[in-house]
Amino acid sequence: MEEAPLIKMEGIVKIYPDGTKALKGVDLSVRKGEIHGLLGENGAGKTTLMKILSGMLRPTEGKIFVNGKEVRFKSPADALANGIGMVHQHFTLVDVFDGLHNIILGMEGHGLFSKIDVEKAMEKLQKLMDDLNFQVPLDVPVETLPVGVQQRIEILKTLYRDVDVLILDEPTAVLTPIEVKELFDVLKKLKAQDKTIIFISHKLKEVMEITDRVTVLRKGEVIGTVNTNETSPKELAKMMVGREVVLRIEKPPKEAENPVLQVQDLWVKGDRDQDAVKGLTFEVKAGEIFGIAGVEGNGQTELIEAISGLRKIEKGKVILNGKDITGRPPKELYDLGVAHIPEDRIHMGLVSEMSVAENSILGLHWRETFRGPIGMLRWNKAKEHATKIVKNFEVLVPSIEAPVKSLSGGNQQKLIVARETSKQPEFIIASQPTRGVDVASTEYIRNYLINLRNENKAVLLVSADLDEILQLSDRMAIIYEGKFVGIVKPEEVTEEEIGLMMGGIKHES
Amino acid sequence: MRVDIRGFIKPLIESLIAIVIGILLGAIILAFSGYNPIKAYIALFDGALGSKYGWAMTLSATTPMILTALTFGLGARTGLFNIGAEGTVYFGAIAALILTNIWGNILMGLLGGIIAGIAWMGIPAFLKVFRGVNEVVSTIMLNWMAYFLALYIVLQKIPNPDDPNKTIAVPLSARFPIIIRGTELSWAFAISVIAAVLAYYVLWHTTLGYELRVSGYNERAARYAGINPKKAIIWSFLIGGITSGLAGAVEVMGRPPSYAISQGMANIYGYGFDGIGVSLVGRNHPLGIIFSGIFFGMLKAGATAMQIEAGVPLEMVRMVQGIIVVTVAIPGILDLLKRVVRK
Amino acid sequence: MMDTALSILIGALTAMVPLVLTSVGATVSERAGVVNIGYEGILLMSAFFGAMFAEISGSPWIGLIGGAFIGMLLGMLHGFITVYLKGDHVIPGIGVNLLALGVVAFGIPAYWGTAGQHQVPSNFRIAPIIKTAYGSLSPMVLITIVIVVLTHWVLFRTPLGLRIRSVGENPEAADALGINVERYRFLATVYGATLAGLGGAFMSVDWLGTVTKQLSAGRGFIALANMVFSGWNPLRALLGGFIFGFFDNLSVWVRTNPTVQEIIPWQFVATLPYLVTLIIVAGIIGRVRAPKADGKPYKRE
Repeated sequence: MEEAPLIKMEGIVKIYPDGTKALKGVDLSVRKGEIHGLLGENGAGKTTLMKILSGMLRPTEGKIFVNGKEVRFKSPADALANGIGMVHQHFTLVDVFDGLHNIILGMEGHGLFSKIDVEKAMEKLQKLMDDLNFQVPLDVPVETLPVGVQQRIEILKTLYRDVDVLILDEPTAVLTPIEVKELFDVLKKLKAQDKTIIFISHKLKEVMEITDRVTVLRKGEVIGTVNTNETSPKELAKMMVGREVVLRIEKPPKEAENPVLQVQDLWVKGDRDQDAVKGLTFEVKAGEIFGIAGVEGNGQTELIEAISGLRKIEKGKVILNGKDITGRPPKELYDLGVAHIPEDRIHMGLVSEMSVAENSILGLHWRETFRGPIGMLRWNKAKEHATKIVKNFEVLVPSIEAPVKSLSGGNQQKLIVARETSKQPEFIIASQPTRGVDVASTEYIRNYLINLRNENKAVLLVSADLDEILQLSDRMAIIYEGKFVGIVKPEEVTEEEIGLMMGGIKHES
Repeated sequence: MRVDIRGFIKPLIESLIAIVIGILLGAIILAFSGYNPIKAYIALFDGALGSKYGWAMTLSATTPMILTALTFGLGARTGLFNIGAEGTVYFGAIAALILTNIWGNILMGLLGGIIAGIAWMGIPAFLKVFRGVNEVVSTIMLNWMAYFLALYIVLQKIPNPDDPNKTIAVPLSARFPIIIRGTELSWAFAISVIAAVLAYYVLWHTTLGYELRVSGYNERAARYAGINPKKAIIWSFLIGGITSGLAGAVEVMGRPPSYAISQGMANIYGYGFDGIGVSLVGRNHPLGIIFSGIFFGMLKAGATAMQIEAGVPLEMVRMVQGIIVVTVAIPGILDLLKRVVRK
Repeated sequence: MMDTALSILIGALTAMVPLVLTSVGATVSERAGVVNIGYEGILLMSAFFGAMFAEISGSPWIGLIGGAFIGMLLGMLHGFITVYLKGDHVIPGIGVNLLALGVVAFGIPAYWGTAGQHQVPSNFRIAPIIKTAYGSLSPMVLITIVIVVLTHWVLFRTPLGLRIRSVGENPEAADALGINVERYRFLATVYGATLAGLGGAFMSVDWLGTVTKQLSAGRGFIALANMVFSGWNPLRALLGGFIFGFFDNLSVWVRTNPTVQEIIPWQFVATLPYLVTLIIVAGIIGRVRAPKADGKPYKRE
């Protein structure tokens, strides 16, 4: 009755060198020719499990069988040899190589010192592209290509190696709704060619749409495997989160007041000197959360950096409480009542080698409280401060002397939020405030942002998590290629309309 | 701030392991080169530590090395590899010589060292901040330029009319008093120790030091926190310039018998390179630098005794220093050794 | 006038050899993502041991190979620390440079019994292929050019080169395709140091014919500057090496010219190669792009 599985993983345990137990005995079986969804929240262990299956990581315990035969992968090469390939969430492309060389890397044919046979490789790739009915340019550096095209190159890369099993890690995270549809067409064609696909996602809608079966992971354990046509989004959500209500967020209605931040015709350049922000105009009022939604890479990072004084403004104005702050350095902005929760907490928000106490005064270390005579730093005051904010925000720390790299992601993020609000700001920039953060901390941080709004602060929220934007924002803008496609109230639009806008299609209201 | 015992013990043990490995490999090389390593080391340690005189020589050799080590250590704490102490020492010595011959007191000599240090080290700071020039390449190039320019000044501008092998000497009134009669140990040593303690204080107990360390660990976080990393880089170079400029100054003002720069600048050559090793073994920590400085000073002071008594070329200690630094660069050497021992 | 031009040209071609070999070696190493600032020390130690090997064996060619061998060993040390133990890329190089100062300063009196300097007897030195009245050209100049062209070809035209460049640009990508990142990085590091070793031995058993503790004279770092100048491209490093070699040789030539010495002190001229390097490096910044993962240890977990 039961088909013999193509892939079988048994009792997989993974403990990282830092002691994190990412997988606690996971079983998974995948049938030939199916699209198998792997569903779970951030940190559930989906990616870790698939990195083990693709040979990137070695399991601490457990067995893997392919076609009933036990295998041990020492490297991705071993997995590829067994017909298993993975497209990672963060693409693994060599930016400066063209598509062709990215694809043939590692199986160029002939000896190491021979000339690379470009024609032969091209021939095989052309056939693959014809079969899947798409075309991508293979002779330009991949860094110049849009993400959707880069993703296809990634898929071609695995198919070029004649894989039977294709693992896709959150493939839609960076795509517009239209690109998602095109991707799904490709996946269906692959299925028709009898390829097996493992589709990692935390998006219920997509999993319902494309998969045949779904395995749900939670906190490193399998909750269950179900047939997609026998389940519902509601059931999957319950399995994924483990309780009925996703998050308990209470947001009382509130009238917004006078504008705190005004942005007028703002132009900002990106790292590659392209226009990243193209003439944005908006305002954030006291007592409101203004959300910016959109697929990542549409100018959000540049916008935030420009407003917070970290990136040059080419044209336009930024006004805070009536004062022109265009191009002012961060220090001055902080003194004027700006706080900034940055999107990259490890590389920007914290100095991971330094202690909790040292990090707790980052960006307020020059304030009177911490400064003694002749430039002295008053450590006793800094420690008091650290102790206070750690207590108030329930940040779990071994001690305030411990380096912040020893904290979990959620606690690191709480530390940043705690520090930034301790600046007593009038205007808070919150960029991806709950990315990679556990559910409890997410709830805490979201409620806290609402509290700030209730206290009549102005909050600018940027998030790739649409739910977060919809839940928190009083008004929201959708950004696409550096411009706002629309500014709406969350309760006045449908998810479909937002989806269209995120893909650059104008909303008519 | 705090003294984290566990965070302190491990690097200490790793430095000690490196020192032991350096000494052992040194012994093997000595044996292969046809010397008696035991005899050589006995001569070395006895010369450096066996008497009050030896100790005095050790500490006087330590004096400039602590100062040049602070240059590298401060740089490392700010995320820079500042190799430029060597050239700065020459100009510090020359400036001290010239100023003391005009004004004749210790303060003017020290001021000369400081000004020369700031001026010369300002060049790589400028190149780094405004032209993005990698400081390793720029400071090395500047060291070589300093070498030839200083040689020119020494030979052409301030030669000693009575002794063509030397420059003019620091006048009596501007010499550091000797601590122990009949040795080379002068109160210049106190300058080094004070500088190291001050450097520690600046790094860990002032807002400037905090900003330097944040910049050193993470430039993006620094910018985010309202710290100007360029300012931090400039401060790091300038303070580093001051300490290595002082190293040159105290070497001519506090080291008998010549109180001058000798032929080919032999008596001021190499301290910048020694300082790098001292700093790395001292884990780029100003207080660690004092102790590793004393160890390196011991090698230097004992080397002469070793050459005389065991006939081993005194440069041998520089080889041992090199081995120690390479060993220090091996990450997690403690864990590595444990694993080897267990096997 | 013609004589002067020719002798300067031949001198520049000769002075180019250690710079170019080191630059091209460093290029391969950094293309694979491994920074090494220990070339100065490698040049110096290889010059020392190269001369020693040449005198022991009686053949300057053995001296060259021996120098390359010493470079290889030091490259393996650096590769072991940076690639396999994931250590810092800069500090081992500093260590090797300090070690070289010690080894050579100790080795000259310990082995040859002379203080500070050893003259390599002419019968242990490489015979020139072309002898003119204006100077003679070593076969090493041609060998260097051949090495550069071959390295360039391998780096940009062959699977091996593709893999080397991939581990220096994006080791995750290479790893995901089953390329052994550590192996390629290690081999590239060793290759780079071996070329520098060859260049070091060339200085003692061929070009300068002497061993001193200041023999390398900053060339290891000038070579790194040349690598940046040439945008991590071997062919351009050949051209850059010629320019740097020209100034290197010019300063030697002017220093020994009594007419010029009267006008300008020789010490000023001696700073020329370093000054030129500084100016060029300060002028090109922002226009070159280093390999993306250059100097970054790669850990899979």
